Amino acid sequence: MTDQGDEGEGIAAEDLDPAEALEELLEEIVESLGLGGEVEVEEADGILTGRLEGEDVGLFIGRHGQTIDAVQHLAQRIVFPEGPSSVRVVIDANGYRQRRAEALCAEADDAADDAVSSGKPVELDPLPPFERRIVHEYLRERGDVDTHSEGNEPERYLVISPLP
Amino acid sequence: MPTDNPKRLLEYLAEGLVDDPDAVAVEQFEEDGGTIVLELCVAAEDYGRVIGRGGRTAHALRTVVKAAAAGEGSHVLLDIVD
Repeated sequence: MTDQGDEGEGIAAEDLDPAEALEELLEEIVESLGLGGEVEVEEADGILTGRLEGEDVGLFIGRHGQTIDAVQHLAQRIVFPEGPSSVRVVIDANGYRQRRAEALCAEADDAADDAVSSGKPVELDPLPPFERRIVHEYLRERGDVDTHSEGNEPERYLVISPLP
Repeated sequence: MPTDNPKRLLEYLAEGLVDDPDAVAVEQFEEDGGTIVLELCVAAEDYGRVIGRGGRTAHALRTVVKAAAAGEGSHVLLDIVD
């Protein structure tokens, strides 16, 4: 214990490794939201994943994932304050990211079908950067469309164009 | 019955984001109709840390603090004061 009275001053005041810092941050948020459940953190392939498993995680995920995406944004900046990090923070809850990725890819497939059949570019709704990347990578494997992003954050969106 | 949960969470998150956690201060006011207003102050050089590029961090703070208030049935507004 130091003599600076730093107890309770938050993560920045403590000497935690990133996984411990993320776990503490998530415990704090889950408690503040009045939720129960189990928080787990694991690191693999340059991705630090914080996971909430519980009965009622709806409030933690939020409408269209806006709360879980906000938690992910804050966690990246709080756990890695020095800026762009080679480690990416992902926050998940009851398999939400997997379900969301499947829904995004299904939506992207429909839009790509439209682009190919009409011969015209199709715009998707705005998505955060990490979700745009999922769609870019998924559609690249189709081989019959090209994708790029337009607009400024947080309204940046994907455009799907048919390949000639 | 509103608690100070959203306020405590905002302080905790802001202290995690900034370089100078001792300068983080949150004032809580209650408006007519029960809306809670939270005013966040940080050190002058830390405003960029709590606002973020294109306001993304401020937006994320608002979203999470609103969720904490919604969890107890109250409504909260976040002001970042400079």
